[in-house]
Amino acid sequence: MSERKIGVYVCQCGGNISDYVDVERVRQAVAEDPDVVVARTAMFTCSDATQQEIVDDIKLDDLDGLVVASCSPKLHTFTFRGVARRAGLNPYRYTQVNLREQDSWAHTDDRAGATEKAIRLVRAGIARTRLLEPLDPTVVETVPRALVIGAGIAGLRAAIGLADIGLGVILIEREAEVGGHVRELGTMYPHDRQGQELISELLGEVRRREGIALFTNAELVRKGGTFGNYEVDIRTRGDSNMTRRFEVGSVIVATGFDSYLPEEGEYGYGIPGVLTLPQFKKLVDASEGPLVYGDRPVRSVAYIYCVGSRQGESGPNQYCSRFCCTSAVHTDLELRAKSPRVHQYHLYRDMRTYGRYELLYNDSREKGSAYLKFAPDTPPEVQRRGDGRLEVRVHDQLTSQREVNLEVDLVVLVTGMVPRSNQELIQRLKLPVGRDGFFNEIHPKLRPVETVVDGVAICGSCQFPKTAGESVASGLAAVSWSAAMLKQGRAELDPQVATVDPDLCTFCGACTEACPYGAIGQQDLGGGRQVAVIDPATCKGCGGCAPLCPEHAINVLGYTGREVEAMIESLAAGVA
Amino acid sequence: MSATLQPDLAERVGMDPSFNPSACMNCGICTAVCPLGLRHLPREVFAYVVLGMEGEVLQHQEEVFSCLLCKLCEVSCPAGVHITENVRALRHYFDRNVFHIEGR
Repeated sequence: MSERKIGVYVCQCGGNISDYVDVERVRQAVAEDPDVVVARTAMFTCSDATQQEIVDDIKLDDLDGLVVASCSPKLHTFTFRGVARRAGLNPYRYTQVNLREQDSWAHTDDRAGATEKAIRLVRAGIARTRLLEPLDPTVVETVPRALVIGAGIAGLRAAIGLADIGLGVILIEREAEVGGHVRELGTMYPHDRQGQELISELLGEVRRREGIALFTNAELVRKGGTFGNYEVDIRTRGDSNMTRRFEVGSVIVATGFDSYLPEEGEYGYGIPGVLTLPQFKKLVDASEGPLVYGDRPVRSVAYIYCVGSRQGESGPNQYCSRFCCTSAVHTDLELRAKSPRVHQYHLYRDMRTYGRYELLYNDSREKGSAYLKFAPDTPPEVQRRGDGRLEVRVHDQLTSQREVNLEVDLVVLVTGMVPRSNQELIQRLKLPVGRDGFFNEIHPKLRPVETVVDGVAICGSCQFPKTAGESVASGLAAVSWSAAMLKQGRAELDPQVATVDPDLCTFCGACTEACPYGAIGQQDLGGGRQVAVIDPATCKGCGGCAPLCPEHAINVLGYTGREVEAMIESLAAGVA
Repeated sequence: MSATLQPDLAERVGMDPSFNPSACMNCGICTAVCPLGLRHLPREVFAYVVLGMEGEVLQHQEEVFSCLLCKLCEVSCPAGVHITENVRALRHYFDRNVFHIEGR
């Protein structure tokens, strides 16, 4: 027997575990292990009091291993690593055993079985902990510079924010002009300022800052290097095609959205006078007095909501585009200010003028606009009449399903946002794309701009449909995230990564090919002997390479072949 | 069945600037609290006025004149609709257009 001193803590999770697992029996069973010095149960192991108790035990009994049997490691790995660190124990000599998601919650009908399973799971954790070696985090130096991709309103504001906290900025824009969609907008909500004005102000601020290098007609063509020191190649088109290389510590993606374009015939799209919301908004923005369309005064307008959004079975876009209700209501008010006598009819499914934008909705109703509600299974029908006017037929849920025939001059299809096609960028950065086609953050509330790719954040409407204000807010969140990472000049990375034993490796190349992160290269040891070498800053410790190695030369630190075998033997002990 | 709309109906019914049936957000609290249990007044009849469905408005004459003007709905209305004043305006509209009583 090895002579380890391991502490084991079995959590009740306030009944979540102890209602279905006899935690006292588990404690007694594992306490028999000669390497277990301390074995306790606790109501909530994650509570401050129990954390302190563990710290005290580690110090008092000079423990060199820690097992916490509670919930999923996704929840509290960092909590208990912190406990170990505070007590002077190497944090990588701790094992989290999942008795909740993988046992008590899964076997609520079988208390005896769940208890037996718990004992095996904890024993496996002890078996692993017995073999764990201390590990130290990989420390990398970080470059105090960020790359911002996309100079729309989110990217411009992020660049200014980064420069103001002392980080260098490379700001690139694919188009010849900065500003994206906002540049095209006239009056915007809620401040009633002009889109063009906002963009030229921001561009002025960008130009005033020496720390920002702005490239238009520019694209990212390659990202290399490792976390904290990415190498990015930026190609600019124009008079001379040129590729420049920069070192950056972080990348902020702010590539924006595309407007949904209805199909021919969708709610009458294609008929003269049937416009999308962006087309109509341009018309209203440009009009200086009463609105005229095709030489005829516009006396009435019908808006049809949720076009290209919340499509259900009928299309690919299941999501709500969020900004369009408020945008349509704001455009209604903008038009009313210019043409007070226009009759405006809004055909909606659900009004979502959230937060203070509700005031715009109130204002629009109080000024006389009519709102009708249709059900998704009976959508409005749009037809062109002989006299050129448009007829919209709708079943109004607010007036006992009356069929209402609206005769109008214009029909506005309130179209939403769709993800922009950016396949090359997605591949170059390995960006995670959600089912809706927008980029995915790690957690919408807790880590709202970070992606699973280290050092790469997303902001603005490439993430999900957002208003300009929300885009700017997320851009600034990405600035804070960059600052937290880059202002220290160094970052600590998880040391639980794959390593190659050069004595065993024959470089067949199987691991290099399998690595999803491109972390495995080739090294010449001299005399023609080639071996695989893994960059610890790029490796994520996923373990995908280890089972492929025909020579068993690869081990993931913290999950070595020996450690995993010991866990399996413990789990299966006595099972025929 | 569908009706021809009179887009200027609201202007013809409510000649006073305080007439505001379009402010309604269709929550239905008015109908829930009505001590007479009126089904269509105020919310749905107001919607007919805003949409210009004159025939539908005329069909609800009895409800328009049954209302007690007790204001229970109005004090409960979260959208600030001047319900009783709007009902009075509707009664005037019936006086003028149905009973041909000129006044005001």
